[in-house]
Amino acid sequence: MSLRALELVCPAGTPASLRAAVDAGADAIYLGFRDETNARNFPGLNFSRDELAEGIAYAGSRGAKVLVAINTYPRAGNPGPWTKAVDDAAALGAWAVILADIGLLDYARQHHPDLRRHLSVQASAANAQAIRFYCDEFGVKRVVLPRVLTVDEIARINDAVEVETEVFAFGGMCVMAEGRCLLSSYATGESPNMNGVCSPAEHVHYEERNGQLVSRLGGFTINKFRDGEPAGYPTLCKGRFRACKRDSYLFEEPVSLDVSNILPSLMDAGVTALKIEGRQRGKAYVAQVVSAFRRAVDAAARGERPDTADLSSITEGGRQSTGAYEKAWR
Amino acid sequence: MSQSGRTAPALSPVLLLGFALRPAPKPALQAAASLAMAALLRSHRGVFERLEGLANLDFLIDPVDLPFRFHLSAALPSPRLHVLGEDQKPEPPVAAMIRGPLPALIDLLEGRIDGDALFFSRALAVEGDMAAVVALRNAVDGADISLAEDLLQPLGPIGAPARALLRAGGALYRRAERDLETLRAALIAPVQRRCDAQEAQLHDLDETVASMPARRRERRP
Amino acid sequence: MSNTPKLTLGPLLFNWPVEQVTEFYGRIAKLAPVDTVCLGEVVCPKREPLLGGTLAEAAGTLADAGKEIVWSSYGLIADEKELAATRDLIESFDGLVEANDITALPLLQGRPHAIGPLVNVYNEGTLQWLVRRGAMRICLAPELPREAISRLAESAGGAELEVQVFGRMPLALSARCYHARAHGLHKDGCQYVCDKDPDGMPVDTLDGEHFLAVNGIQTLSHSIVDLSAEIDELLEMGITRFRLSPHKVDMVAIAHVWRDLLDGKRDLPRARRIIEAVAAFAPPSNGYFHGRPGAAVV
Repeated sequence: MSLRALELVCPAGTPASLRAAVDAGADAIYLGFRDETNARNFPGLNFSRDELAEGIAYAGSRGAKVLVAINTYPRAGNPGPWTKAVDDAAALGAWAVILADIGLLDYARQHHPDLRRHLSVQASAANAQAIRFYCDEFGVKRVVLPRVLTVDEIARINDAVEVETEVFAFGGMCVMAEGRCLLSSYATGESPNMNGVCSPAEHVHYEERNGQLVSRLGGFTINKFRDGEPAGYPTLCKGRFRACKRDSYLFEEPVSLDVSNILPSLMDAGVTALKIEGRQRGKAYVAQVVSAFRRAVDAAARGERPDTADLSSITEGGRQSTGAYEKAWR
Repeated sequence: MSQSGRTAPALSPVLLLGFALRPAPKPALQAAASLAMAALLRSHRGVFERLEGLANLDFLIDPVDLPFRFHLSAALPSPRLHVLGEDQKPEPPVAAMIRGPLPALIDLLEGRIDGDALFFSRALAVEGDMAAVVALRNAVDGADISLAEDLLQPLGPIGAPARALLRAGGALYRRAERDLETLRAALIAPVQRRCDAQEAQLHDLDETVASMPARRRERRP
Repeated sequence: MSNTPKLTLGPLLFNWPVEQVTEFYGRIAKLAPVDTVCLGEVVCPKREPLLGGTLAEAAGTLADAGKEIVWSSYGLIADEKELAATRDLIESFDGLVEANDITALPLLQGRPHAIGPLVNVYNEGTLQWLVRRGAMRICLAPELPREAISRLAESAGGAELEVQVFGRMPLALSARCYHARAHGLHKDGCQYVCDKDPDGMPVDTLDGEHFLAVNGIQTLSHSIVDLSAEIDELLEMGITRFRLSPHKVDMVAIAHVWRDLLDGKRDLPRARRIIEAVAAFAPPSNGYFHGRPGAAVV
C-alpha cells in the first residue's frame, strides 16, 4: 500500500544548513531574514537577500521549496522591515511566506495575491473556526498548528476545514500557546513577538555557586545543575521553579518533541506536512534529523512502521515526548 | 559567568603533544595561526560578515590541553588570530572565552557541535557575553569549514602530509569522532617540523591579508 | 463618545467560591466608581458551570447600578465544546462582547465588539483591520512599550484604546494546567485546585525569589502592574480607558484611587501609597511601558 508521504519541512539558520537539509532529503526549507522579522532572530543566524536567492536556486535545482518565515509582529510606527521582507520574499521567488500578524497577512494578500501564504504557529490558530477565519479573510493555504492540540483534535480540524495543515514533528517544544507568551519579555524586556527572540543569549548568565552551575535569565534564576548533570540552555518555560513548596520543572521538562512513532496516526488525521524545529541548531544536527525523518516518512508512506531509534540520540538530554499530541500531556 | 567549571584536561594525546610543544617557538605557531586566518578570510568571508553588528568581536579560545591560547579578533576588515602564552592577557579585553579540550573545539569549528548542544554538554566552558558566543557558533556553522581543506591547504607543501593522513584516516575518524589523535598529530607535527620555513612565508602573507579586505569589500551588497 | 476617561474592571481571572463572587460584584455595583465591568470566565471553561448563574445575577446587579456590562470570551478556545459555549454567549448577549481569542472574531462579524488584551494587536495594520471589522474598543497587551501605545492611539480612528493599569499581568496560556500539574494532578481530574489561590499560585525561583503566578492554564506576573505614574502620558497619547484587573483585595479602594487620578486629583504619592498598601501581596512594576523587562520598576 502506498500513501501520500508527509511533506518534510526543515529548518535552516544558515546557507550551510539549507544545503545540508536539502541534501538530506527535505521537501521544503523554512528560513528567515537576518533581522527581527522572524521568530529566530539570533545573533549570527539567518539569511541575507543574496543568500536567500542562492538558497532558492540550490533548493530548486534539487526539487525542494523555500518558505520564508516573517512571523513576528510588525512594530507600531515602523512596519517597513516586515512589508519589505514580504516584498523581497515574493520578488526572489520564495514558494511561500509564513505569517502571523493580521495586518501583515492583509498586506500580503493585497500586494502579493499570488504569493502563497501560510499561517505561522505564532498565530496559534488552535481550532477549525479560527483557521477558517484566516483562510476566508487572508486566503491562507496552509496552517502550522499549535503544539497544544491532540491528534484527535487535529483530525477533526482537517475534517472541518479545506486547508493544508502542518504539525511540529521534532525538536524544541513550546508549552505555551505560541505567539501569546510574554514570559521572556517579562524577565528580559525582549519579546518573542516583537524582537523574534525567546530567552535571548545576551540575557543569559551562568555562575558557579556552591559547586552548582546556576543558569540565570535577565536576573532570575532559571535552573541549577549539580556537578556533572547536563546543563540545558535556560529557556524560561524549561526551567526549574518552586511552587507548592516543591522544586520542579513546573511548566515542562527539558524534553524534545518527537512524533516519529505516531507518523501513521498523523497521516490518518489528514496532516499534509511535518515541521522540524531548529533554525538555531547546527547543520550537522539538521542533516541527521532530516535524513532520519526522510526514512521514517517514506517508510510510513509504504505502510511500514518507521524505525526511529536513531533519533533518540540527538534529543535534548536524550528524552523525548509526543507532547500535547497525546492527551495525557495536559 | 562560566558555563562550567574549569575543565581539568584529560590525559590525552593532545595533552602530551602540548608538553612537547612547550618549547616550540611562538613565532612558528603564530605563523600557522595567521596562515589559517588568511585562508579562512579568503574562503569563508561570510563567517565574519555574520558577526557584524556585535559590539565586541574579540574572543579568547583556550584549548585546555595545549600550553597556549588563541585570541581571535573577528572584526572585518582584518580579522586576526593571535597566539598567546598561558599567562598572557588578551588585549583588548574579549567579549567571551571558550575553553575546552582541543577535540571539542575542533568539533565546534567544523560544525559538529551545535548551539544548543554547546550548552547541553559541559565539555566546553563558556564565559562572558553569551550572545557573542552564540553568534560565533552560528557564524562558523554557517560556513562549511574543514580543517583539512581550509586550514591545512594554505600551508602548501608542508601541509601535504597532514592532508594525506586526513584523507586516509577520514573514514576511521568519522567513526571515532572523539579520538582525534591522528588528526591532531597530523595537524601539529608538520607545523613543528617546518616552523622556520613558515616564518618566511608568514611575512609575505601578512601583507596579503592586510590588502585583501579592501578589494573584497566591493562585492558586498 | 465622551472625552472623560473611563474605568473598566477587567474580568475576574481567578477561581473564587461563588458566594465570594456574588459579594464581590455586589460591592462593586454599590461602591466602585467604575464605568464598565467585564464579566465572564476567560481562563478555564471547566469553571464555567460553577459560575454561570452567579455571573448572570451579578450582571443584573451591576447593570441596575448603571455599570456597562461587557462579556469576555475564553482566552484559549480549543475544542468544539468551548467553541459552542462561545457561540452561545455571543448569541445570547446583546451587549458588547470582548474577544480574547481570534476564534471569537468570525462570530462577532457585523456587530460592534471589543478586543481583549489576549489578542495580539501590535501595530496599526492589525488595529485598523480590526476596527474596520467592527472593533470599537481594544485593550492592549501588557508588553507594549509607550512608543507602540502612542502610535496605536494615533491610528485608532474612532475606536477606544484601553490599557491595563492595575493587577497582575497575563503572560501566557497553555493547553496544560499548571495548577493541576503542581499538585500532581491531571487537567481532567484537577479537583479544581486553582481555588486554593485567589490571586494565583506563587511561582518562585530556586533562590526563593518571587517570579510568576499560576492560575490554572494561565501564567501571570508576580508583580502588579501599576501605571499610576504614567497617567499623564497615557492620557496625552489618547488612551481613554483604564483597566483594573480584579484581585482579592479592596478593589473599591483601588477604583477610587484611579477615579481620583483620572478626575484630575493627582496626589500621586498618596495614590501609590494606597495601591501598595491595598495590594500588599506583590510589588508594583511598570517596566513594559518603559521598554524594559515587565518585572522592572522604572
